Amino acid sequence: MSVSIDARRIEVRELRKRYGRTVAVDGVSFTVEPGRVTGFVGPNGAGKSTTLRLILGLDRPDAGTTLVGGRAYRDLRQPLREVGSLLDPAAVHPRRRARAHLLWQARSNGLPARRVEEVLDQVGLAAAARKRAGGFSLGMRARLGIAAALLGDPPVLLLDEPVNGLDPEGIAWMRGLLRALAAEGRTVFVSSHLMGELEDAADHIIVIGRGRILADASVADLRERASSGRVALRTTRRPEAIALLAGNGATVATTGGEQLTVEGLPADRVVELLTGAGLPFSEVTSHRASLEEAYMELTRDAVEFGAPSVTVHTAPSEGTEVPR
Amino acid sequence: MQTLRAEWVKLRSEPGLVVSAVALFVATAGMALLSLSRAEAPACPPEFPGCELPVVDVVRLTLSGVYPGQIFAVVLATLTVADEYETGLIVTTLVGSPRRLRVVAGKAIVATGVVGLAGAAAVAASVLAGRLILPGRGFTTAAGYPPLSATDPTVLRAAGGTALYLVLVALLACGVAFTLRDTTASLVTVLGLLFVLPLAGAWLNHETLSEWTQRYAPMPAGLSIQTTVGPADLPISGWAGLGVLALWAAAAVVSGGASVTLRDA
Repeated sequence: MSVSIDARRIEVRELRKRYGRTVAVDGVSFTVEPGRVTGFVGPNGAGKSTTLRLILGLDRPDAGTTLVGGRAYRDLRQPLREVGSLLDPAAVHPRRRARAHLLWQARSNGLPARRVEEVLDQVGLAAAARKRAGGFSLGMRARLGIAAALLGDPPVLLLDEPVNGLDPEGIAWMRGLLRALAAEGRTVFVSSHLMGELEDAADHIIVIGRGRILADASVADLRERASSGRVALRTTRRPEAIALLAGNGATVATTGGEQLTVEGLPADRVVELLTGAGLPFSEVTSHRASLEEAYMELTRDAVEFGAPSVTVHTAPSEGTEVPR
Repeated sequence: MQTLRAEWVKLRSEPGLVVSAVALFVATAGMALLSLSRAEAPACPPEFPGCELPVVDVVRLTLSGVYPGQIFAVVLATLTVADEYETGLIVTTLVGSPRRLRVVAGKAIVATGVVGLAGAAAVAASVLAGRLILPGRGFTTAAGYPPLSATDPTVLRAAGGTALYLVLVALLACGVAFTLRDTTASLVTVLGLLFVLPLAGAWLNHETLSEWTQRYAPMPAGLSIQTTVGPADLPISGWAGLGVLALWAAAAVVSGGASVTLRDA
């Protein structure tokens, strides 16, 4: 494997970290490429924040390396100019005003005070610049955290759950911002415990569960992979239809009334068989997995604190079916 | 330098820290004013003129505001460090400044610098108050108490030593806070070291311990620099006492530096 020195690439190799007896990250490797939004998704406790903390040099890994632009974060001299990060939007001093909160960060990396005004404008907090951060709503704190991440106009952005707790308007704003930053050629690495939050923002998804990488694929690939090929239909002659389809290798389940769910046969083959046998049918729908379902599928065994026996395996309800 | 500038912006933009600095001045100078205005020069009863009078250490009396004042030096230094751990801001600080010892140095320099300035101002105000008030309380040249003078080496040593004492106490608090990462625990530890440790010997009625604490506990050791009367029978001499306090502070800072660099943020 060639070692790239692209200043915008994040590389994580064989990363391991345990806290006491808990293994937080267990041999994680991935690369985050510039120019796109990469989602970092996993259930709570999966190791997302730990990985981000290790990349930022906050915690020391037990093994493995993390590089940003080919260098360890701790070796960066003006890190805010190279990596913008947001780990915890609540980490503000309640009595300090928003402007001062950004100014000291600018000073710590030799950035001009002008940048403070610019990023406050950029995130729509200019009017709140003189307010104390303690009075900020969750949404305002998220914006303040993003402003801090943008201070050094960095080519790499690392954001831990930036959408968490935002209202719909805030979520839409954040998605737009993430896309815009990636479109400028920046590396945008965003974690979330909800795949849905990233559904319209991310181009690429890295799924982590119990400290291991479960998937590292484009959004399109991930969707493809999780589509189970289930076909739902309605027929007035259920027993015959079941016998026919099962005889052709499908697994058929009845889901109440005249409804059938067919697994193991593509929709066009189902239609062909039923038509050939002269059986009446209607409302044929091919089930296409949402990103959220793909994620649930991947992390089913990796949910750290999940409720016991989550019934992910049941046939999809009508509400989740997408007609093709 | 950038870390210093960042820490300076932090300090001046946090009202709690600014208030602590002001409180340090007010408590130190205010307490001096209070003790001076209640002081009374010893005098012989009329029936025994020419009796032998005890000599009052007016310099020490003038600088007694350091007792309450140091609490605010401790509070300021502790909040500078421990508040960041409590709010989670330390992560932001270390992400911006990955060279951690610079962060420790930056915070220590800014906190002790502000404590030093406020302390020096308070000490100067106290000496001025002593010069103005003491003669009116019977401490006259005739009674053997010439007016306090800032150019008198004895006064200068005691006053400068007191300001230095406040700086070292702040440094001690900084180091402890970096080690414990918790406001309450740090405050209890440092104030305990300063105010409770010297009493331990008396409480336990243990003579050797009492002697030891008078010599090596940070407050009695550090404040022996204030003594200007009869220094011969002191448990520890002025500069040696400040040296002892400096060792306490150095140990705390080394411990804090190790905690910051070796432990996860």
